[in-house]
Amino acid sequence: MASPNSLLAATADHLARFAPFDSMAREHLLWLAERLKLAYYGKDEVLLAPDQGEIKRFYIIKQGAVQVQQAGTDDAWLELHEGEVFPLGALLGGRQAISTFKAITDVFTYELEVEDFHALFRLSPAFQDFSTRRIATLLERSQRSVQARYAATTAEQQSLRSPLSSIARRKPVTCRPGTPLKEALETIRDNRISAIVVVEDGDQPVGVFSVRDLIGRVILPGTDLATPMAQVMTPNPMSLPSTAHAFEAAMLMARHGFRHVLVADGGRLTGVISEKDLFSLQRVGVTQISAAIRAATGQEALVRAAEDIRQLGHNMMAQGVAAEQLTQILSTLNDILTRRIIELECAARDECRVAYCWLAFGSEGRLEQTLSTDQDNGLIFLVPEGETAESVRAVLLPLAERINRVLDACGFPLCKGEIMAMNPKWCLSLEEWKTVFSRWIDAGDPESLLNASIFFDFRPLLGQENLAEDLQGWLLAKTTATPRFLHQMAANALRNRPPLGVVRDFATDGEGDLANTLDLKLNGTTPFVDAARVFALASGVPATGTAARLRGAAAKMNIPTAEVEAWLSSFYFIQMLRLHGQHEEMQAGKPMDNRINPDELNDLDRRILKESFRQARKVQARLALDYKI
Amino acid sequence: MAFLARFFGPRLPRDPDLARRLEAWLALPEANVKDALRASRYVVVDVETTGLDLGRDRLIAIGACAVENGQAVLADSFEIVLRQDKVSSKDNILIHGIGGEAQREGVEPVEALVGFLEFLGKSPLVAFHVTFDQTMIKRAVKEYLGFEFKHPWLDLAYVMPGLMPEYARRYRALDDWSGHFRIGNFARHSALADALATAQLLLCALPLAEAKRSRHYADLMDLEKAQRWVSWSG
Repeated sequence: MASPNSLLAATADHLARFAPFDSMAREHLLWLAERLKLAYYGKDEVLLAPDQGEIKRFYIIKQGAVQVQQAGTDDAWLELHEGEVFPLGALLGGRQAISTFKAITDVFTYELEVEDFHALFRLSPAFQDFSTRRIATLLERSQRSVQARYAATTAEQQSLRSPLSSIARRKPVTCRPGTPLKEALETIRDNRISAIVVVEDGDQPVGVFSVRDLIGRVILPGTDLATPMAQVMTPNPMSLPSTAHAFEAAMLMARHGFRHVLVADGGRLTGVISEKDLFSLQRVGVTQISAAIRAATGQEALVRAAEDIRQLGHNMMAQGVAAEQLTQILSTLNDILTRRIIELECAARDECRVAYCWLAFGSEGRLEQTLSTDQDNGLIFLVPEGETAESVRAVLLPLAERINRVLDACGFPLCKGEIMAMNPKWCLSLEEWKTVFSRWIDAGDPESLLNASIFFDFRPLLGQENLAEDLQGWLLAKTTATPRFLHQMAANALRNRPPLGVVRDFATDGEGDLANTLDLKLNGTTPFVDAARVFALASGVPATGTAARLRGAAAKMNIPTAEVEAWLSSFYFIQMLRLHGQHEEMQAGKPMDNRINPDELNDLDRRILKESFRQARKVQARLALDYKI
Repeated sequence: MAFLARFFGPRLPRDPDLARRLEAWLALPEANVKDALRASRYVVVDVETTGLDLGRDRLIAIGACAVENGQAVLADSFEIVLRQDKVSSKDNILIHGIGGEAQREGVEPVEALVGFLEFLGKSPLVAFHVTFDQTMIKRAVKEYLGFEFKHPWLDLAYVMPGLMPEYARRYRALDDWSGHFRIGNFARHSALADALATAQLLLCALPLAEAKRSRHYADLMDLEKAQRWVSWSG
């Protein structure tokens, strides 16, 4: 066909408004349009049902709404609308439909014969990609659209997801371990750099010296300028491969207070990244904030740093940083802040002589903090010989209370459920924690299960980390040996169903101002988090993060990697929507929560959210299968 | 009898190729209007003209879409602009959007009409407010191809009220019925877009017709006739 007539062109245009057609080549869209037939189904007419046997056609909804019902029941669990396609799974798998598809309004569909569907599958890589990796494709598109939405404000900003190779442009300036200090300082001056890398043969980096080391190591001690660099450099520098992402460099700098990170491939130095390189355009950077926290000596500076952390979160949100990295960075910075608060409160007080460890629970324990988060923490300690848990607790509680109050001032509100170290119930010795955990595991009543879902996600923050590790090891030994408890946890997790609607796309439940909204935390991320916990406790995976738990457990439980990654993509997509909602609420000066109105999402996000809830159902289905619930 | 054919039969185009194609069309067997509704091919048609005067205005464009076995076949569609010696008025252009240049560069009317007939075959025609489309096409065929275009036509403007009498008084225009079934139109007043919207209306009519035990096109023609009587008698 030379040039398509206006009908075929208009059909291609119409399809191109929806994924995956929007990323298909124009010629393939026209190829498709030429093969489509337009059909009509009156209200309540069935388009497709399992008893119709092998699938003969691929359907694209042109207009109207189609309800999907699970075979053998009247339960509708999904609604499909304009631009949505079905039944992909059945067509690709060459099997009959699992569900019944019924028109709930007047429906017009574009229909493609099955042979043409397979031909299109071979013809169009975009279509093939969509069909096989439906969820992943949609996610990628959505992330791109988030970035595009903020493109105006962040066009010049470097993405934290770019590889270091694209950032480290300068050739690193180096010297040898035997180079005299004077010569090295001259090199630094001549090159107008702030640090020099000390390398051995084969460009193997062995140390770093920065101008900031001058005062402490050269000027004040009156070091002889003939001293070889090996004696003044910071040895054993940390490095990352050039394939690592910018955000990993940012994390490394934040954790250790470095201002430079070396880029090395196969032990050979290839570049240097300074924090300036990473955040030259950003108002508040990860490293500036962490440096400010480390330098803070009073509450005022800490409060400011906490505000900066939130601001950074919003900036990164705007940059389109993925939820996985964003929540990790936020958690890392919050960790650093909390550690500094503890250090300052401990300074020069004898209560800190006790061997204790600060524990983070809940989302902080899982490294999954969002922009709005309250405190969930506790203490674990050792009882020295000759003392009692009571007496140690009496020493630690005042300290804990001061820490909790400073955290509150820094914008981490006191926990309504009083899950805080200042609560004597959660300031316990190792033995006491074991007793409490044992009781929950053996009782299995609703309250114990709820507690388990918060406390079993614990992570040590500061202090005697081996205490936490002991507790972790003991806990996993206990849970893996108590299938009854795991069964109860699983049953409890399954009570919380993803909000897929019967009549509409989503089941919303709010009232008043919150009418037509749904809770992305309770109904969205929690099913993944709960399932991951059960899987981890059952298979002895010590990780606390949902991603690490699922990945760790999958290997032991023979769950295919692709399946786990689809779950995680969905989990992070919902996390991103949560962050996004909080971000916009903050911009509007409203209190932050986890509720959104799905009608206010764009088409693509709404469809991905639907697909993500479907993935949540799959995780739950796996849980139900494993525990025969 | 050759001289009679010259007066009453078709005036074959001078171009031998067009002449051969027209003869081939004329030789096609007539459609059986008693074939089952969902086992037949119908052609839904819409035209654009220089105005609404049935006596004076001229045919500018034809759009048509086939409905076969109860489904509209997108690729089985047709649109053509007939070359105009005199471009239509500006007001008229604003309605259908076929500009002066497009009108002058259209296809020679003889060739355009032969092309339309080939696309049509002997499939029965369907339109909304048939009188207009039918008159315009008939006049053009008479003028350029020299014969009376006699073909079965079905008018959805009468069939629809017959199938859904409860709406007969409220709905008059194509837009009324399109609105009822939420049929979109990708370019209103483009002949092919309107033909597709009409074709979608025909798809909606089929199950209603079957529910009323109309088995074929001829039954719908009877329904149309009865409805014309109802409308006329008020």
